[in-house]
Amino acid sequence: MEVLFPRTLEELKELFVTYPDGRIIAGGTDLLVQLRKHGNKPSALFSVEHLEQLQHVEEKETEIFIGAGVTHQQLWELPIIKNYFPVLHDAVAVLGSPPIRHSGTLGGNLCTASPAGDTLPPLYVLGAKIAISGKTGKRCVPIAEFIQGPGCTMLEQGEFVTGIQIPLPAPQAFSAYYKVGKRKALAIAIASLAVMLEVNPDETVKNIKLAWGSVGPTVMVLPEVEAFLKGKVLSDEILSQAGKMASLGVKPIDDIRASAEYRQCLTANLLLRICRD
Amino acid sequence: MCQSSRPLTSAPSVIGQSAPRADALTKVTGEERYATDYYPENHLWAGIKRAAYPHARITSIDISQAKGMVGVVAVLTSKDVQGSNRLGIFEKDQPILADGIVRHYGEAVALVTAETKEILKQALAAIVVEYEPLAAVFDPQAAMSKESVILHPGRADGNVLLSDEISCGRGVEALADCEFTAEVSIEVNWQDHAFLETEAGVAWLEADGTIAMIASTQTPFRDRLELAEALKIPPTKFRVMAPYLGGAFGGKDGITVQGFLALAALHAGGRAVKMWYEREEHFLAGTKRHPAIMKYKLGCDQQGMLQALDCSILMDTGAYSAMGGEVLELAMEHAGGPYCIPNTRIKGAVVYTNNPIASAFRGFGVPQVAAGIEQAVDELAKTAGFDLLQFRLKNAVRRGSVTPTGVLLTQTVGLSECLKKVADHRLWRERELWQNSAPAFKRRGVGLAACYHAVGFGPVIPDYANAKLELAADGHIRVFAGVSDMGQGNAATYMQIVGHILFQGYDNMEIVLPDTACTLPSCSSSASRTTFTYGNAITGAADILKERILARALLLFSFQLLEQLNVQDLVLLPGRIVHQPSGREVPLQLIAGFMDESERIATYSYTCPVNKQVLPTGKKLRHHGYPHRVFSYAVQLVRLQVDTLTGEIEVCDLLNCIEAGSVLNPQVFEQQIQGGAAQGIGYALFEDFALKEGKIRTNDFSTYILPTAMDIPNMETVVVPLAEDDGPYGMKGAGEISIDGILSAIANGVAAIIGTRITQGTLTGEKILLALRQAGKEAVR
Ligand SMILES: Cc1cc2nc3c(=O)[nH]c(=O)nc-3n(C[C@H](O)[C@H](O)[C@H](O)COP(=O)(O)OP(=O)(O)OC[C@H]3O[C@@H](n4cnc5c(N)ncnc54)[C@H](O)[C@@H]3O)c2cc1C
Repeated sequence: MEVLFPRTLEELKELFVTYPDGRIIAGGTDLLVQLRKHGNKPSALFSVEHLEQLQHVEEKETEIFIGAGVTHQQLWELPIIKNYFPVLHDAVAVLGSPPIRHSGTLGGNLCTASPAGDTLPPLYVLGAKIAISGKTGKRCVPIAEFIQGPGCTMLEQGEFVTGIQIPLPAPQAFSAYYKVGKRKALAIAIASLAVMLEVNPDETVKNIKLAWGSVGPTVMVLPEVEAFLKGKVLSDEILSQAGKMASLGVKPIDDIRASAEYRQCLTANLLLRICRD
Repeated sequence: MCQSSRPLTSAPSVIGQSAPRADALTKVTGEERYATDYYPENHLWAGIKRAAYPHARITSIDISQAKGMVGVVAVLTSKDVQGSNRLGIFEKDQPILADGIVRHYGEAVALVTAETKEILKQALAAIVVEYEPLAAVFDPQAAMSKESVILHPGRADGNVLLSDEISCGRGVEALADCEFTAEVSIEVNWQDHAFLETEAGVAWLEADGTIAMIASTQTPFRDRLELAEALKIPPTKFRVMAPYLGGAFGGKDGITVQGFLALAALHAGGRAVKMWYEREEHFLAGTKRHPAIMKYKLGCDQQGMLQALDCSILMDTGAYSAMGGEVLELAMEHAGGPYCIPNTRIKGAVVYTNNPIASAFRGFGVPQVAAGIEQAVDELAKTAGFDLLQFRLKNAVRRGSVTPTGVLLTQTVGLSECLKKVADHRLWRERELWQNSAPAFKRRGVGLAACYHAVGFGPVIPDYANAKLELAADGHIRVFAGVSDMGQGNAATYMQIVGHILFQGYDNMEIVLPDTACTLPSCSSSASRTTFTYGNAITGAADILKERILARALLLFSFQLLEQLNVQDLVLLPGRIVHQPSGREVPLQLIAGFMDESERIATYSYTCPVNKQVLPTGKKLRHHGYPHRVFSYAVQLVRLQVDTLTGEIEVCDLLNCIEAGSVLNPQVFEQQIQGGAAQGIGYALFEDFALKEGKIRTNDFSTYILPTAMDIPNMETVVVPLAEDDGPYGMKGAGEISIDGILSAIANGVAAIIGTRITQGTLTGEKILLALRQAGKEAVR
């Protein structure tokens, strides 16, 4: 297995022609675990370390562009993430551990497409779009389209992600990420919830976006719950009602970390944290 | 195999002073070599083909393909074992390589040596084993029934490895007279040792036929004897070296890879072989803490004096006995807790199943029974309307008390002092404030546990150590450690003791780690006896050496000063001896030059005194350690916070109040106490070991959840330093006591918060949320 370091996107595209089964390695924190577990190694790994375009964060007037190779630690340290995207800031703060956050990247988390990936629910509620590049050119797709199933994205052979575009949220918007794992660090989410909320001056909900992690094959979005909450004043009572709806809408499984029932309870209960905060 | 530690300090050692361990620097810098760090030149890799069934008869093993592979050196099965092929201490029931039957998933079936790890892997895959599956039993209760399949036919008691009953006073009858009673049924889970350094070692055959090995082992001297029988090779034909261990906690108390290494070395044509389990293999093949099913009924009178206890303990030792009998003994001996209960009946059994093998693990049965008795005590105090701490104090054993198993406590007992210290401590005094200050959607509570822990092996098995100390020709002091240091710091403490007696600093001392070729036979690193016993032995050796050094110095000074001198006029100082009246000095090196080798080396043999009591019940337990003589004591307190939305639980503060005799090095002591308590938190809340029909589902670190630094609170350690006559400088063992009460303290705190008890297994967030729901407290603000 060779490890290659392309310097330009063109070089990377060519590598995909030379080594059709080659894989991108960013931080390697998912890929190397998978390779050890499953054994079938590709003929080459392409590191994105030296690809300028993938390493930078660009602040534009109405949106922000985050290169796919930006690490969680870099994101966590950026003032713009802390000030404008608390939901994403919360998520990278509880992702893995310091070493994992220093090597793991946003692009890697996205392309792994795990329903437990911590940055995914935030990217859903933020309305992120994924910038893809490949031999057939470029495209930019909403995250919900990009993620197609557990571990499955729309990337085709030879395609890769250059970055993630996120519109700047309304200035007064509240956002947060709540995660339940089996410990405080290095924990794969048992259930998580990303919230993006705008309220009217009369305290009624103007706009709410909710996305749950780890309670279905992909991140779960429940438009009926959002619709139910729209126009209402949030209270423990209302959020409990929304929780009941939500727990029926998600599709959790039993696994070694938790039972489906527990995940259903968490789906509902995490909503109550919105009112607490 | 001599090893030296680069010291952090050259100040002369003093007993009672906090000092960084002598091994700290070389470990932090990575210079220190663990067994895994040895890669002998031109070595082979050895690996194991493991069973794919929990219980099956092997009908054939086809090794032909593996044997023919390029790069494969040997493929061995039980046919290649000359001796009994049986490992074990009391019960020699475990084959090195399965001969006929496999009794648990992952049991060793064949051994391969190969040039590279890759070839090894392919060769192991190429071995074809055919099995005829047998009925299997995974439930210890089912294993005791008449209908159960028997794991080891021919044993008198079927699947029961050991069972016995201890009773005192009027036994269970007395329960009927109690004013108040409480009952609890508790099931505690397995626990994996999860040490950083997985099982590992290297071995080679020397020209004279000696099998030499460097292994990660707590028991170098006993390993020789165990291997000798299993392989039919004289024990003197083994040389076992034990460098510092990267953790063990009981999981390396006995043979892990040593049998395979010896066998592989015998078939490697003189080349060295190396073995090193991957994490998954460690989970599959390594021993675990015994799970236990316990039933407790406890009663007291109107005044709150405990009167009667009826309890039963059932433990699962898995496919082979390992230390199952001894763990049951210690569990039963401690089952009634550190209280005066005049009337008791304690029933216990440990049984074979087709589960993984359970054996020694820090605490050795005590954390299990502490979870039983301490929850019963809390329930009874609540029922009878007593303060939880005062109730314990009222019933606490004192020096001269008799324990619930009839043991007369002749040595130091500091439990009351510990309880009083905790009673005065802010964390206890402010418990109501804590309970009432919970933020939204949280509930807070405090949990308490008291416990004790025996030191040493009990009345039958000699608990001995043979110390050796050398004044080297160049004037520095060489301390030979016959007992492994698995990370607890005992080797550094031996240096501290020697340094204290001989007035030397670490820079003038060197430690020689266990090596059957040059350190002297000593018992294992275990049973809270490591520093206790070896410390006594090394003190004796240091006293002898000091006397010799001074006597020889006296001759020199007499010649120089031409007068009759008195040894009292001489003082040992770092690297030299001073004649105080004249101020004259001679270097140690010079004295060494005036001594021949036999004088420069001092040895001292020490065997611990034992409890001579003859107790009327529990006769079968005597061999396994009942009764003990010396005990350490602890009271542990936790402040908890539970999230009513998620069931997540947080240990916010932890107080360890410990009486383990005098403290030789407060820093090392506190590290031990904190480490044990952290491991207790893992046991209580995180390490939710899961088995399905004998197969481990939590077989790596992404599914077997250890607490991280973020999950461990700041801890406070308060010491009650009573001086124990038996211990060197008044110390007692402190290696295990701090793990004992954590599960029970946390369980008591959780029960206080929820109002009901979670009685089965690890206290996970999922179980806590369910209990909150059943108690009508889920999602309560
Ligand atoms: C100990 C540990 C703890 C962890 N804890 C968490 C956690 O708490 N939460 C969580 O969400 N995750 C966790 N993870 C998973 C992992 O760290 C994250 O998913 C991380 O973001 C992956 O990023 P990476 O750069 O390391 O990806 P890599 O491993 O380099 O790549 C992952 C996958 O994405 C592909 N890929 C990477 N970049 C691109 C690109 N630009 N275009 C196309 N494909 C690409 C790779 O080919 C590979 O298939 C943990 C992992 C470990 C080992």
